[in-house]
Amino acid sequence: MYLVAHVDTSICAETACKLCTQFCPEANTILYDNEKKTAFIATDRCKACEICVSICDNMAKHSAIKMIMITDIENPFELSKSGFRPAEWNSMVRPKLISEKES
Amino acid sequence: MGREKIQINEEFWDIMPDDYKDLVNHSTYGKTDRGWKDVGSSTELIAEHSLCAGCPESIAFRHIMASMPSPEDTVMVGSTGCTSLVFPMVAVHNIHSLFGNQNAVATGLKRALNVRFPNKNKDVIVLAGDGATVDIGLDMTLQSWFRGERFTTICFDNELYANTGGQESGLMQKGFVAKMAPVGKKFEKVRLPEIARESGCAYVAVLTTSKPSLVERVVRQAVLIAREIGPTYLQIYTPCILEIGKQSMEGLQEMRDAEAAGERFKFREFITPEAQAFIDDMAAKKKAEKLASAAN
Repeated sequence: MYLVAHVDTSICAETACKLCTQFCPEANTILYDNEKKTAFIATDRCKACEICVSICDNMAKHSAIKMIMITDIENPFELSKSGFRPAEWNSMVRPKLISEKES
Repeated sequence: MGREKIQINEEFWDIMPDDYKDLVNHSTYGKTDRGWKDVGSSTELIAEHSLCAGCPESIAFRHIMASMPSPEDTVMVGSTGCTSLVFPMVAVHNIHSLFGNQNAVATGLKRALNVRFPNKNKDVIVLAGDGATVDIGLDMTLQSWFRGERFTTICFDNELYANTGGQESGLMQKGFVAKMAPVGKKFEKVRLPEIARESGCAYVAVLTTSKPSLVERVVRQAVLIAREIGPTYLQIYTPCILEIGKQSMEGLQEMRDAEAAGERFKFREFITPEAQAFIDDMAAKKKAEKLASAAN
């Protein structure tokens, strides 16, 4: 299994820094939902370089992004399957940690 | 090519891959005010590529693709190196030239485009590594500037031949020891920005890619000046994190360190008076347009 970045949308929605979307080296990997004001990750494109984690922790000081195992996320967003459809992002079921759901 | 050429024939719509449909529906082709602000909420002109995780070069690629003034009327010329791994994934016309020939190929291309489309602005952007620009292709690079060819040359400066394991390049800093250059470099980093200035470039800038707004301003200026006035040159620091022994998340910090005051990539630009007048004139026109639209 491998690690991917995961955005805690509840923390991210309170800010509007968008720094992670600018500095991710991969194109169309950290997407930004303008309606819900939150970033989220296309897990099939994430190469786990952790640049977004260090930006969110050190530059933005929000600590909203964590590296987690791909198996720990429920309904991860995969761009290759879902396509780039900003209009549907607002109603999209957000990727969630399985542990969050249980608690 | 114009925006209408990117559209898919309706009859083929159902068999086209999703990625292509996304490009047509959500990309920034044809928008005059496109920039890095669109990143994250529009499809970018670059797709999944095979560069290493956390490679600063891919950040630079994203920022450059987001800042081009008119990607649908741009042709990029690449050369051998890590950049040639990305060019197949770029949604802009591009040519892969022989190692070092990129500026010669771009010269012919720009002249042919001027003949074929006399009434249109066609941009040519050369994007190559430091080996292709400074060592192997220095002849072609300099000659194109001497002739005053109107296109932009962008050099991704990672200060060594990273793709082949870390050999010494002309842009490497003095004393640096690389994996395949164990003695350490014996002479100074080639001062190509200064050479470019003296060789007839209308606009020269040295920067890193740690500030998207700066990259956007510089790339836009370089392309627009190259359209009207003369050759332009950008040297962008894109460190190879593998060759300098950094972790994947440390590339950004490395670029910030290299652009600190007194360091070798401290932002500096040179612009001829003629080019400055052109940029000022354009800014004034834009401001007047904005005021006019606000008044309406």
